[in-house]
Amino acid sequence: MLQYVIKRLLGLIPTLLIVAVLVFLFIHLLPGDPARLAAGPEATPETVDLVRQDLGLDRPMSEQFARFIVGTVHGDFGKSLRTKRPVSSEIADRFMPTFWLTVWSMVWAVIFGMAIGVVSAVWRNRWPDHLGMTLAVSGISFPAFALGMVLMQIFAVKLNWLPTVGADSWKHYILPSIALGAAVAAIMARFTRSSFIDILGEDFIRTARAKGLPEKSVIAKHALRNALTPVVTMMGLQFGFLLGGSIVVEKVFNWPGLGRLLIDAVDMRDYPVLQALVLLFSLEFILINLVVDVLYGWINPTIRYR
Amino acid sequence: MKISQLWAISSIVLAMGVSGTALAGKDVTMAVASTFTTMDPYDANDTLSQAVDKSFYEGLFGFDKDMKLIPVLALSYEVDSSGLVYTLKLRKGVKFHDGTDFKADSVKASFDRATNPANKLKRYNLYKNIAKTEAIDDDTVRFTLKEPFSAFINQLAHPSGAIISKAALEKYGKDIMFHPVGTGAFKFVEWKPTDYLKVAKFDAYWKKGYPKVDSILWRPVVDNNTRAAMMQTGEAQFTFPVPYEVADVLKKKSDLDVIAAPSIVVRYLSMNMRQKPFDNPKVREAVNYAINRDALVKVAFSGYAIPADGIVPDGVDYSVRFTPWKQDIAKAKKLLAEAGYPNGFETELWSAYNHTTAQKVSQFLQQQLQQVGIKAKVVMLEAGQRVERVESYADAKTAPVRLYYVGWSSSTGEADWAISPLLASDAWPPRLFNTAYYKSDKVDAGLKAALLTTDRAEKARIYREVQEELWKDMPWAPLVVEKLLYAKNKKLQGVYVMPDASFHFDEIDLMP
Repeated sequence: MLQYVIKRLLGLIPTLLIVAVLVFLFIHLLPGDPARLAAGPEATPETVDLVRQDLGLDRPMSEQFARFIVGTVHGDFGKSLRTKRPVSSEIADRFMPTFWLTVWSMVWAVIFGMAIGVVSAVWRNRWPDHLGMTLAVSGISFPAFALGMVLMQIFAVKLNWLPTVGADSWKHYILPSIALGAAVAAIMARFTRSSFIDILGEDFIRTARAKGLPEKSVIAKHALRNALTPVVTMMGLQFGFLLGGSIVVEKVFNWPGLGRLLIDAVDMRDYPVLQALVLLFSLEFILINLVVDVLYGWINPTIRYR
Repeated sequence: MKISQLWAISSIVLAMGVSGTALAGKDVTMAVASTFTTMDPYDANDTLSQAVDKSFYEGLFGFDKDMKLIPVLALSYEVDSSGLVYTLKLRKGVKFHDGTDFKADSVKASFDRATNPANKLKRYNLYKNIAKTEAIDDDTVRFTLKEPFSAFINQLAHPSGAIISKAALEKYGKDIMFHPVGTGAFKFVEWKPTDYLKVAKFDAYWKKGYPKVDSILWRPVVDNNTRAAMMQTGEAQFTFPVPYEVADVLKKKSDLDVIAAPSIVVRYLSMNMRQKPFDNPKVREAVNYAINRDALVKVAFSGYAIPADGIVPDGVDYSVRFTPWKQDIAKAKKLLAEAGYPNGFETELWSAYNHTTAQKVSQFLQQQLQQVGIKAKVVMLEAGQRVERVESYADAKTAPVRLYYVGWSSSTGEADWAISPLLASDAWPPRLFNTAYYKSDKVDAGLKAALLTTDRAEKARIYREVQEELWKDMPWAPLVVEKLLYAKNKKLQGVYVMPDASFHFDEIDLMP
């Protein structure tokens, strides 16, 4: 097991290197000259040239690439073209708010989603199922930014219970995590339900029932565990997406997170920030996949790692 | 030893004083639309960062809320007969936030830094015409220009022309952008780029009795509706801009004021005069006749704009008023027929922005042009595309831009910067923004002559001729002059959005 994890972590390095190369190439293919954009709407060519030198964009592409790779290996991602602050601190400032928002959204979304899914599967085609799936469908189809705006209008503007923007206290987390988690909860509910229904039709469930186990124990012990495998996969994927920072929810709640940083970076062609962000997102996905794989083994001991 | 102890004690007392008054609680939150790029005014190119930088920095000259030039750290100026040497008397008894005195050496240090290309500052261009800056004595400074430039005082009044403490420049070097030290009414406290920029009252501010509030929290909030929500909950006392569709909601709140302020932001449609069919003045005239500006104001700007009545908007020094174009479809068709396009023609209309208002404008223009037979394909350019296809396109002969919807505001509040970058023949892209590829010897000569004279009447006469020539030549279809929509809590006073979309908050106060 430990060996497997170490092997996977080592495998990370070439993957990230390949991602780094691709990212560098793709980003430099984007139309628009970052020096021109950074210099602003009133700049003359002389100013643009000064800015180009200042940002190191006048160097040959190969040199920029070498610098980027060497820097990345040393953990130095350079400075943002826009704010001139180190990329690492730009990202560090925003990582934790996004991380905690993701965690809280996932926690409530998984609990609610799985509960609704299990209830719907057990009372299949009866009113709890209909109610649960109606909720789930609306959760998927209601866009997160609209939900965020409605929540803000009700709980912040009309009732004045919760603050609108910022990320300073636990109160600030409530509305954005609901807005962000709603779609995840809905997806989790539908996934759990279908996976559960499949499992409930399996032979070993019939056997469990046949040997006289109470229904509660059949569902909680035999079915749930086996139904979890696909659900965990889904959970990992969603977690990875949310960690990238939800652009719309972060915009609505002015969340100081990675999604807004990404948008700002794309708009200004802020190469160093973009490169570092894409690398970070790749790393997050790889790590989450690893965690998911390890979880499989814990859920289903028949899975072997090699 | 004794002195340093005294210093330590006095700074503790000062700190207590600041925190003491902060408890009294005149704290203002200002919600603005985008994140600030820098706290170094010489390296800022966006109006917003420059407006916020005014919390801690002041210039030798400045603008009042109506964009009238006023002396700030300078008291007066004299210009010699050659128009090259400007001698300024400086205000006495002014202190920087670091405790040092404001003297001519800091003026010299600030401008020497800006005019040295090795510092690679984004505003180098604005000040590169200064040959040298000399400190004659503590309160006299002399600028020598490379060539006469009669708008020089306006140039000094530009919000980027801040005076930075010489001691701080020496201490922080390039990092001055993270440690602003000026003479402004507020001291820098903290900048969290994602969240806020906080400034607090500077007790030793030279204008006695000011500032009247203890702190300002500048909060960048990207989403329009969220800013509106913050105004309604009272989390913010001021917000700009207010989108048109939100204005009505905010107007209904009894504790809020929604204000439509005049601006110098002019929106126009430039026509590439080096390309057929726009090389023909009849075609350009037809385009001008095709557009109903009053309807455009209603449809795209919800009434918060006025039809353009000139090339240079009212409020900019030396601007001249004309009668706005009235729509006349029959005349437009006739002109097109005379120009050899009885059935119209096909072309492209590019918009320099892709936000909602620009979308509405482009679609409206497309429909108006359609009425006279001009079929325009609309393309909304994203910032990177705009730079690539228009602003840095190198070859004037093959420039693909045809009809181009864009806007401009003259940040020096003066006619030269309102005309030269847009219509002088040496301003063709990629140099500047003459997207009409307009060239007129008369206009070029006028723009040059105006900069050589320091006589107001003579300048006014030259700029009038230039603008009349431009109005006649029609390199643009001038469209509208925008109004600036902002909201504030009724308790908040003394905060204004200036015509160039910067802020004026010298008299900021919060009523109980």
